[in-house]
Amino acid sequence: MPIQLTSQAYCKMLLHTAKYPHCAVNGLLVAEKTKEKKKDGHSGPVLCVDCVPLFHGTLALAPMLEVALTLIDTWCKENNYIIVGYYQANEQTKDSRPNQVAQKVAARILENFSEAAIVMVDSSRLTMSCFEPIVFIHDHHENKWKVREVTTDAFEDWSEAQKITSALLVGRSYESLIDFDNHLDDLRNDWTNPTINKSVLDLC
Amino acid sequence: MASLSEMYDVGWEEMRDKLRKWREDNCRNSEQIVDVGEELISEHASKLGDDIWIIYEQVMIAALDCSRDDLALVSFRHTSSHAQKASQTCLQELRKQFPDSHRVKRLTGMRLEALERYDEANKHYDAILQEDPTNTAARKRKISILRAQGKSTEAIRELNEYLEQFVGDQEAWHELSELYINEHDYGKAAFCLEELMMTNPHNHLYCEQYAEVKYTQGGMENLELARKYFAQALRLNNRNMRALFGLYMSASHIAASPKVSAKLKKDNIKYAAWAAAQINRAYKLAGRGNKENKCSIKAVEEMLESMQITMS
Repeated sequence: MPIQLTSQAYCKMLLHTAKYPHCAVNGLLVAEKTKEKKKDGHSGPVLCVDCVPLFHGTLALAPMLEVALTLIDTWCKENNYIIVGYYQANEQTKDSRPNQVAQKVAARILENFSEAAIVMVDSSRLTMSCFEPIVFIHDHHENKWKVREVTTDAFEDWSEAQKITSALLVGRSYESLIDFDNHLDDLRNDWTNPTINKSVLDLC
Repeated sequence: MASLSEMYDVGWEEMRDKLRKWREDNCRNSEQIVDVGEELISEHASKLGDDIWIIYEQVMIAALDCSRDDLALVSFRHTSSHAQKASQTCLQELRKQFPDSHRVKRLTGMRLEALERYDEANKHYDAILQEDPTNTAARKRKISILRAQGKSTEAIRELNEYLEQFVGDQEAWHELSELYINEHDYGKAAFCLEELMMTNPHNHLYCEQYAEVKYTQGGMENLELARKYFAQALRLNNRNMRALFGLYMSASHIAASPKVSAKLKKDNIKYAAWAAAQINRAYKLAGRGNKENKCSIKAVEEMLESMQITMS
């Protein structure tokens, strides 16, 4: 079943994009691990409860990406999460297609989660008011990545997501967003972003 | 709205010094620069002396940065019209003071770029180059336009031509390495970084980036080179975490490969073990007094342990 985004996941993706408007950015989407599948074989949509911002700038180098994937995988196991998707905003604001990097990382995620998705952020439509969702979601069908139309159904609660993201953008919270690159620059920087998570919770 | 100096209790000298530091470090924190710079210019212009011109230039470029994307007009609404005014004011003042300056003409070109009027900007830079064919700034702006338009192949070609003439331009070599990496042409990216390492043998960042490129290229030879250069980066700066992680990853992969000799395997296990200990130590140091970071420490420990298993 296709993925759905919570306010926290959506807003942190956009904050990451807003923090580095002149760079490509990427990150991982995580969901809670559910133990049982429903009896009729259909499970509900997979809810991406959070995202981990990874890098900005040059995305196409392997070693740090491997470190990040392994570390975040371990973190997921501790918190009963599973990596279910990958997001990316391209350097070229006019181009929102998943490139080689996106497809490679997503392929890796697919190995552990068959319904993994690629979420491309359309930074050309990034606004403070966030009046419309600006993501393209790509699902894997028949060996290809196909884009799906994004409606408010792709969100757990679109009006909440919109309200919170807008508030945090206006308040420039992106200045304190930490991605994995920031963490490698200074280990004290926490890529789980507890302060921002708290702000999101406070606004809910 | 309270002024910055009121909010943060800083004097104008501190603001001026901050701007200088950001100039020297080439930081791209454009929103902050506009905030600080605008206030400095509007409230304290008379005290700045000749510094004011370079501050005008810095603020103008930052202002362009803030209102450049399409997120501009609609999104950073208050900042953008603010910022656009700021960039226009700065440009006007600079033009008045330095009417024939190529340096100021470059800024006019950058403003056109920010408004995505690339053809006009190119004409502008061509005019500068006609008067002064050695003007590197104008040439580099033209290459930036190609990159902004997504024309990577042309940008790469132009940058290569530029570097044949200006072979010592480090910024250009680095830009070229980035362009090659984005095109997944790792061999050529490595070449650019080799140039940079030759002229800057003490720069740990170039060593580390070179190692990352080699690692990405893959294959046993490249992996070994990667490991060597990660180690070299660490010798130059033992706090470079990327180099430390890189050393760990490359040594682990070499040790885990079925094709290596027993000696190579043994050596790399040693390197990896050393790196792992250093990584753990670095995390413990960072996590001191910070409860929340404990999860990072644990995650790192487990990651290192799980990789140990694949090596043996």
